[in-house]
Amino acid sequence: MRMFLAILVCKLGRFVGKLVGKGSSMPGKFALKICPDILRRVQLPPHVIAVTGSNGKTSTVEMIAAILRADGKNVVYNEEGSNQIEGVTTLVLTHATFGGKVKADVLLLESDERYAKFSFQFFHPTQFVITNLYRDQLTRNGHPEWVYDAILPAIHPDTELILNADDPLSSCFAQGHEKVKWFGLDHCSIDLPAPSGVYHDGAYCPICHAPMTYDYVHYNHIGAYRCTSCGHAKPATDYTATAVDLENGTLTIDGAVDIHLAFRSIYNVYNILAAYAACRECGVGGETARGVINNYILKNGRMQKFALGHHHGTLLTSKHENSIAYDTNLRYVASTKADCTVLIIVDAVSRKYFTSETSWLWDIDFDQLDKPHVKRVVLSGRYCNDLAERFSFTNMTNWTVQPDIAAAAAKLKAEGCEDLYVVTCFSDRDKLLAHVEKEG
Amino acid sequence: MDIKILHFYPDLMSLYGSYANVSVLKRRLEQMGSTVKVTPVLPGQEADLSGADFLYMGAGTEHAQKAALADFARYGQTVKDLAESGVTMLFAGTAMELLGKTITDADGKVYDGIGLAGFTAVQGNKRFVEDVYGHTDLYPEAVVGFMNKCSTISGVETPLLTELSLGFGNDGEKAPEGFHRNNVFASQLTGPLLVKNPRMLDAVVDAIYHHRDEPLPAERPTDHWAEDGYLITAEQLKLRSESK
Repeated sequence: MRMFLAILVCKLGRFVGKLVGKGSSMPGKFALKICPDILRRVQLPPHVIAVTGSNGKTSTVEMIAAILRADGKNVVYNEEGSNQIEGVTTLVLTHATFGGKVKADVLLLESDERYAKFSFQFFHPTQFVITNLYRDQLTRNGHPEWVYDAILPAIHPDTELILNADDPLSSCFAQGHEKVKWFGLDHCSIDLPAPSGVYHDGAYCPICHAPMTYDYVHYNHIGAYRCTSCGHAKPATDYTATAVDLENGTLTIDGAVDIHLAFRSIYNVYNILAAYAACRECGVGGETARGVINNYILKNGRMQKFALGHHHGTLLTSKHENSIAYDTNLRYVASTKADCTVLIIVDAVSRKYFTSETSWLWDIDFDQLDKPHVKRVVLSGRYCNDLAERFSFTNMTNWTVQPDIAAAAAKLKAEGCEDLYVVTCFSDRDKLLAHVEKEG
Repeated sequence: MDIKILHFYPDLMSLYGSYANVSVLKRRLEQMGSTVKVTPVLPGQEADLSGADFLYMGAGTEHAQKAALADFARYGQTVKDLAESGVTMLFAGTAMELLGKTITDADGKVYDGIGLAGFTAVQGNKRFVEDVYGHTDLYPEAVVGFMNKCSTISGVETPLLTELSLGFGNDGEKAPEGFHRNNVFASQLTGPLLVKNPRMLDAVVDAIYHHRDEPLPAERPTDHWAEDGYLITAEQLKLRSESK
């Protein structure tokens, strides 16, 4: 009876919430009050796929959903990104019959790293994809090992883990776990011989803290690592990017599945590979997966094209407080060929909470922009002085400061026709987009 | 003058841009006419601490901290002797805990610190993450920063920040924070606290000059980006502290 009541309240709450444009966590919250273990009582679909990690969750989940649907499966997933237990409850109950049966072939969940353990105390995923773990929003997450310890209780022995073989930290989840599938990149043309970036989180083994060595890296400390003491090393992969060419936008999986990349970023390669691995583990054929992810343009795309005066602009949304997201976008700018200006905006560190914390700027490798075709860098927003102080420690001298974002946009609009790249966060991007003409 | 800086475990204890404290100090001393040599100290390798002007260790994860402590213990007596003789040092983030008597981890296991000070650190499963706004007895301007730790520290008699109006201090909300004795500076304010606090950088430079019996130049170099950045952050955090 309590289950019936909880489902009824949740469905009604969701219906009313949609009418008034409210978020999706409140109905689940009410349902959990009525029946705290409702998620244990409901009958879930045969496949429950969860995706967590520092970067790539939303994109990976979106592609998994697209592939599974192309395979004819009925997929329920949290498209609105409500990834804590209340949001998960709303999602599950609104798609359940009053008898508690979820009407889907697959329940797909983007899961917050630190809150997965709360959702998964009542049920557990059949497949759990962990994309990576690195420095991300440390003002709320502490540090990557802290997040690792928070995810660990969410892993059930019966769950099949789908792990990134190239990440020395998140690969540790395989320790003592029987069911593991690995995805990763072979040695390929984009690789560097040693870790890059201003800090080196792969310097020491996350298990025994002895020094680690690398055969090659794909970016930062993600690559072929090997501990000099305990044997922790990149494992053999089950799903492998056997060739990657970012310049021409091509990716080959397992030597046979050729994919064209709509966005030529190393991130996109990993997200595609994670989505491919998860779907293959759910029985989808390689050709069906290829048909979807070939030239796939993400709906939640974090790249936006625009025009500003005579400039062709590209917005590269990079999460503030996430140095690897910044590094990856700076690497993309560095890989372009035409003359360009780069505008970097740090105005509100977070859109969700107050902080004046800017330590993360020191973790970003801004020297990647020290290229002949990067003609100038403009620093803007409330924390432009902190950005400028950081830039004063780079090798570059072609940077200027304009605290006011509108003034920076107006000045760019009035002069020049070179390409323009804007690097900033969700919290600040609309402050620039308000002054441009969006394309596509 | 020639300045010798030892940076302990730069890769192991590297969270929150900790390295920038050394970068900004080196640049400032060079602007003042010194020649600065920074030597990284790596676990398992021998380091010569004699004649050091500045010792530094940054923040690390709780696991990394224990690995650092396992190596740093052998330098314990030397570091204490150097501190007694007035050598300047800064231990930031979890590195501060190494100076105390003991560190108790979240599972209750107790590790001996080097015992430079009598305080004890107890780590737990709750993390204190919050902006900090406070004052020190060293100078009148406010100190700004960010706290990101999972420990409470008891028994500090001479804190670096004597008063907090925002954030978590050594053992509680708005409690005094850090440790300061002679020229030993320690604070769990994470990241580049010498960048964020230009007056704290001045205080460290003064301490180095004082220990070398060198007169300070009449005019100091100023770093206007750091000064302007500090003013904005201080204003934001002051408003925040008043609204709480």
